[in-house]
Amino acid sequence: MHKIADVEIQHDIMVANKKLAQRNQRILDKANVFSVDVLGAIGSGKTSLIELLIKKSDEKIGVIAGDVISKFDAGRFQQYNIPVVGLNTGKECHLDAHLVEHAIEDMPLDEIDTLYIENVGNLICPVDFDLGSHMRMVVISVSEGDDTVEKHPLIFKDADLVVINKIDIADAVGADAEKMVNDAKYLNPDVKIIKSSLKTGEGLNEIIEAIKDFRNNLC
Amino acid sequence: MHELSMADAIVKTVLDVAEKNQAEEILEVTIEVGKLTMLNPEQLRFLLDVLKENTLLEGAEIIIEEISVEIKCLSCGYTGSTNLDDSDHYLMIVKCPECDERNLEIVTGQECNVKNIRIEKPE
Repeated sequence: MHKIADVEIQHDIMVANKKLAQRNQRILDKANVFSVDVLGAIGSGKTSLIELLIKKSDEKIGVIAGDVISKFDAGRFQQYNIPVVGLNTGKECHLDAHLVEHAIEDMPLDEIDTLYIENVGNLICPVDFDLGSHMRMVVISVSEGDDTVEKHPLIFKDADLVVINKIDIADAVGADAEKMVNDAKYLNPDVKIIKSSLKTGEGLNEIIEAIKDFRNNLC
Repeated sequence: MHELSMADAIVKTVLDVAEKNQAEEILEVTIEVGKLTMLNPEQLRFLLDVLKENTLLEGAEIIIEEISVEIKCLSCGYTGSTNLDDSDHYLMIVKCPECDERNLEIVTGQECNVKNIRIEKPE
């Protein structure tokens, strides 16, 4: 004989990810490591920005390089002789707290002050997955079109710092960088927004200062 | 394509609970998906249908319930739903419908919750 039974589960996968993320942050806090989730579109300049931060910043930096195939970006960071952990996401379009948890295990936290976690180039999927970082920095560029912000509102709603890159070619690609700034402000009135050209160096010092200020305000 | 990883996590969760409850068959699964998640319910359903083959879930009906968005306004204290406009549906995360301020917290709408299952098991 068989019977039919209803079983309550109430297992929220988003909440489970959030709990793992909180655990990641506790591990980083214990090691006194500040971490930044670097999000943004493909080709917007995420890797270039982290490379410049490694070169210009006076902090000891480690990088988790997440990508569908991570060896390309990881290889770029390794030439600076810093701790780098490559994270292959394979089919997946985002990092999650579980993947980052394992990457943190491989990262020598006692050797670094700041951990940059480069997310997969994507303005949609990473929004759902908190990694446990202290700060979310979104890097976009004018070449994605000046409607990029309004088309992807949630990632900007949650951002702590928005970098609008490649402003030196805004005219050439017919993009209005000010529109992008205003759209981001509309979605997130308190967010810090910096226009940059990582090619010319414009805005880089401001980005370094903004990250420092954010960290100091956490303390 | 993060519907695939979510579908995979849902299937694993359901099969784990079903086994612990000595299920011989799973008849029904109810999943709650928040409207603000970046999950498309139809894509999620498609992938669940693929992943459930040759498992206890094979014959189960998948019910996906959408969870509407509720916000809390940190300026006026309003807590509740927002006006949903399909042509600009993210507007609801931007402005309080009561005071028009933009200092909001999202209360609901970001879930991917495996709510319950209906199983057949021995007496």
